[in-house]
Amino acid sequence: MSEALKQSLDISMFWEYRAVFLEGLTFNCLVFLCSAVVALSVGLGAALLRINRLWPMRWIGTLHVEVFRNAPDYIMLVWVHFVLPLLIGILIRRRVEFHPFLSAVLALGLVYSGYFAETFRAGIQAIPQGNLDAGRAFGMSERLILWRIALPQVVRRMLPEALNLFVSMFKATTIVSLIAVPDLMYNVSMVIQQEMRPLPLYSGAALTYFLIILLLSSGVRLFSERWRRKILA
Amino acid sequence: MGNWERLVWNQRDVLLAGLGVTVEVCAIAFIVAIIGGLALCLVRIYVAPLRPVAVLLIEFFRDTPIFVQLMWVAYVWPEIFGFPSTFFNAGWLALALQSSAYLAETFRAGIEAVPRGQREAAFSAGMSQAQTFTRIVLPQVTLATAPSIVNQFTVIVKSSTLISVITVPDLMSQSQKLVNVWYEPIEILTATAGIYIVFVFLISSAGKLLADRLLRRYGLNAS
Amino acid sequence: MGEIPRIRIADVHKSFGPLEVLRGVSFDVHRGSVVSVIGASGSGKSTLLRCVNYLEPPSSGEVYIEGEPLGSRIDGRGQRKPRSLAEINAMRRELGVVFQQFNLWPHMTVLGNVIEAPIRVRKLPRKEAIAYGEECLRRVKLIDKLSEYPARLSGGQQQRAAIARALAMRPKAMLFDEATSSLDPELTDEVLGVMRELAADGTTMIVVTHEMNFAHEISDRVIFLHQGVIEEEGSPAEIFGAPKSERLRQFLSKYRK
Repeated sequence: MSEALKQSLDISMFWEYRAVFLEGLTFNCLVFLCSAVVALSVGLGAALLRINRLWPMRWIGTLHVEVFRNAPDYIMLVWVHFVLPLLIGILIRRRVEFHPFLSAVLALGLVYSGYFAETFRAGIQAIPQGNLDAGRAFGMSERLILWRIALPQVVRRMLPEALNLFVSMFKATTIVSLIAVPDLMYNVSMVIQQEMRPLPLYSGAALTYFLIILLLSSGVRLFSERWRRKILA
Repeated sequence: MGNWERLVWNQRDVLLAGLGVTVEVCAIAFIVAIIGGLALCLVRIYVAPLRPVAVLLIEFFRDTPIFVQLMWVAYVWPEIFGFPSTFFNAGWLALALQSSAYLAETFRAGIEAVPRGQREAAFSAGMSQAQTFTRIVLPQVTLATAPSIVNQFTVIVKSSTLISVITVPDLMSQSQKLVNVWYEPIEILTATAGIYIVFVFLISSAGKLLADRLLRRYGLNAS
Repeated sequence: MGEIPRIRIADVHKSFGPLEVLRGVSFDVHRGSVVSVIGASGSGKSTLLRCVNYLEPPSSGEVYIEGEPLGSRIDGRGQRKPRSLAEINAMRRELGVVFQQFNLWPHMTVLGNVIEAPIRVRKLPRKEAIAYGEECLRRVKLIDKLSEYPARLSGGQQQRAAIARALAMRPKAMLFDEATSSLDPELTDEVLGVMRELAADGTTMIVVTHEMNFAHEISDRVIFLHQGVIEEEGSPAEIFGAPKSERLRQFLSKYRK
């Protein structure tokens, strides 16, 4: 046991390849940023649909949220990468292929749009009706009310929850290696194939992610505490 | 479409077998996670010398992404610790470790949310620490954390799709096998996605109903 | 008289589903006059006020602002068409509303609240909006709080800020929906004081209130609403001094101080 333990704690091998792994990590960040944009914008749209006056709109919004919130990340990733191009190809009668990066961004963005939609909706519904009435009484258009009165308050109220979702999303980017996006885990598996020494490499990956996420989530926790105090004062 | 019948309905045995494995793995992981989470939480709160160890473990298993944890548990642990001996065990173990960390925090928040006055009332009536905990604190914690616990089960089910990567024959891997045999991914993968979505949806709906009924029974859902 | 009333409410009915809250209310508010609306809870007072600026569109009947119907207009071909929301919004600018719950926007400072609508809706340049906004704040004696956030102000200060916010739009009339009902008694007076000054300055006002003495003091006309219709109306002397209807007498006896 001690031989294996020593081997896996010997993360010097992991350190050797740090340039490659750093490159992979930047891919994780890139995927995260792009997916975040998709998730926020689609999520906001779905949330607004959910509180629309017309019931078909509400129904579409609810459908969107329930489908994507309940879907496992991995199956959505596989589906977007392998099935969606075929469906589009059938529609436009051409052969379509998705670049793995695109599939990753789309899949993660859509899944997390479901979570963000709920966050936005809860935030919007928590705004006192009177605030919106006052806006209308002053002759503000619905668009103006949304952007100047509603959304600023939603952001203030839901920022901690949103930040937690972002951290989750970053953790989720690790699965993009499974459709050959060259992120950290993908590079780790490539190196393992070369070096045939999985122990230090998987341990190193676990340690790296642990440290990064620890930093991020501690930061979010601290920030959220101060933020909540400031907002609820 | 004939394809649906040929590729999905006729292969339902294969898919159902996979679903069975998924449910098995998730059930085991869930039970272990509850026990582990409770243990971690109690150690953290009540066993002062071991507190830093508990905190470290909770942080580590919470912060590491599930995929990374899975690979680590499946390939590194057997060499160091001698277990898990099969990939099936690695599957539920990794899922359980991650969820127990989340549940530990959930339980802690629930315990800390029980108003201190309730404990004081119990002590004043002559109840012991253990009695207070099991008769006063724990039931309230269960009520308060029930939604989060059900939610954690859905997280386990969703994360379980990754155990196909370490060759556990769950629903995900069975559907990928079918795709490799038939070369027609559309119906098979869509059906698989649909099964997972419906399954998770049913669990969380059932969970919501259960939690609602529990709350109503105790008159706690006044709003 | 011959003068077009600033606000004319013509046979307004309002139902919420099967419940008819307003059953045909009509009255005029002339320029510079103060009309108070009194009545028990459930009489429809607040609904009436919310119908005046179409926060709740009337089920039937119409509201006219200086002769212009709020709900419809005559188009180029001389045909009557219903107004779009954008057009209604445009007309809402002319009515300043002060709510019972103040409804200040919590993420903006007092000054921010006051200048928001002038800038966004009337499209005033920022400097102008700030200048007039400060004047309004001075008028309600809140100028020293202009960079405070609403949560830090007392109820009376918040309501005064809300009044300044409504004034900053230079409305043709001010609508007060139980402006002091949410305030502690000590804070009521500062708000009533501001309203008193506005009335003295010749502001056209519709005031829904429980404060009978105040209504008596500042009104030109008083309307007693009961179960969605005007039970009695007249000058303050008539309504408070010599009530004709039995229901009005019963109502007033509850408020005798």
